[in-house]
Amino acid sequence: MNHDGHAKNSRTAYTHLLWWFLFAQGGVIAAILVPIHVLVQGILGPLGIVRVVDRHYDTWIRIVGNPIVKLYLLVLIAVPFFHFAHRLRYLLVDLGVPAARSVPAQVIFYGGAVVITAVTIWVLLTTVPISFG
Amino acid sequence: MKALGGAEAADSTHPPPRVYKPEMPRGWWLRQRHYFLYIIREFTALPMALWLLWLLYEIQRASNGPKGYYPPSSPAFIVFSIIVLAFALYHTYTFLSLAGVIIHIKGVPSRLIVLSQFAAWLVASAVIAAVLIGFAR
Amino acid sequence: MAEKRITVRATRFDPAKDKAPRLQSYDIPFADESMVVLDALNHIKAHVDGSLSYRWSCRMGICGSCGMMINGIPKLTCNAFLRDYWPRSITVEPLNNFPIVRDLVIDMEDFMHKLKSIKPWIIRKQEYPLGAGEHRQTMDQIDEFRQFSECINCMLCYAACPVYGLNNEFLGPAATALARRYDLDSRDQGIKERLPVLANSEGVWECSFVGECSVVCPKGVDPAKAIQQTKLDTTMRFVLPYGNREE
Repeated sequence: MNHDGHAKNSRTAYTHLLWWFLFAQGGVIAAILVPIHVLVQGILGPLGIVRVVDRHYDTWIRIVGNPIVKLYLLVLIAVPFFHFAHRLRYLLVDLGVPAARSVPAQVIFYGGAVVITAVTIWVLLTTVPISFG
Repeated sequence: MKALGGAEAADSTHPPPRVYKPEMPRGWWLRQRHYFLYIIREFTALPMALWLLWLLYEIQRASNGPKGYYPPSSPAFIVFSIIVLAFALYHTYTFLSLAGVIIHIKGVPSRLIVLSQFAAWLVASAVIAAVLIGFAR
Repeated sequence: MAEKRITVRATRFDPAKDKAPRLQSYDIPFADESMVVLDALNHIKAHVDGSLSYRWSCRMGICGSCGMMINGIPKLTCNAFLRDYWPRSITVEPLNNFPIVRDLVIDMEDFMHKLKSIKPWIIRKQEYPLGAGEHRQTMDQIDEFRQFSECINCMLCYAACPVYGLNNEFLGPAATALARRYDLDSRDQGIKERLPVLANSEGVWECSFVGECSVVCPKGVDPAKAIQQTKLDTTMRFVLPYGNREE
């Protein structure tokens, strides 16, 4: 036990604050939006129980081309990854990997979320041209 | 598990008091139901992350053109989605419930806050389902 | 009819002789339905083995000194009735996550240090002279913090917290709950002095909201809530414009 720990550390950890804030935002997005996507696009659509936009190329590119949908998909995919990064990093700590608390681990996990965000933006901008159709 | 010397400075007349410092057993989370459910709650992140990566891939595949686009219908994918849905629902239930502990608005009971969160979830789900199904052909 | 008896296993550790703690079994009379685990320990010390060491004082759930692990759950031994366990045996161990000094006695130095670090007293920028009268509070203002003020520093929440168990630098549940007790007090003006301790890298951010601290608290305090609300409030102070202003 290091009793000088608080003296050397006595200031608000703004990076932790930022990661926690993004963790919380991503948690809300994942909680509210993800289950229905999995149900409709992952189960009901493939089983043929209902018709779903991603079952046909025409309907899928039409909806993915919509700029509002693109923005929505960015929020749906990118923001939860900050939540996942945080949870999985602490899950490793819980399972006995103290190194997951280190700064390099933070760079890897939250950096990973940043990379996913960039890839999502790139995919949304390059796959289907923006159209208001 | 090891015994450690307590004080750093060893005095010859007073030997340092030895304390025993127990370490957390690796399987601590298997010893109690509450801890186990907590670890499951944290683990929900992994299946959800995999499914969203699939969704990103699904969007990317739209660039293959009409001939190269095959929507997934393999049993393996459906089973995967069913497993992810179970974890996603557990995340929704735990996250929205715990948010009621965190958000504090003067004069509003926390039960009402939690209830409004679940209502928002239902409304959002209905709107998304309507779009995903309504714009299909 | 044969006398009712109960088996109590207690941790024994003599730092001068033992390398590691061991459990010793005692078979004692369960004479009275109102007996608690602390009574059983007192019986062992008085009639079986006077060398058994443990902390206790008030016997009525106020002093917070008799907390131990009972069958793996942190509890006040004065508040754990033998009748809830009998005919099963009872295993009494020192509180988890703390160094063991002797038998059932833990080293509480780390908690005492953390408690002091959050300045658990009312901080005023300028003290009024006594003649200016008392600081008045409405019932609503008291209700803001009352729940957190019930803490008796028994450390059961630290024994229940795996985050503290894995990382002793973590500020932990009770210290945060008590910091919030003063931060929410309308008479207090010390939030800026406590914030760096609460929100540093070993502070509230380390908590992953296991929630077991609030489950084991014998006084109904909700430290998990105190920690999450501190995270949110600290974030809002930072995110919202003018969030850093006084009051």
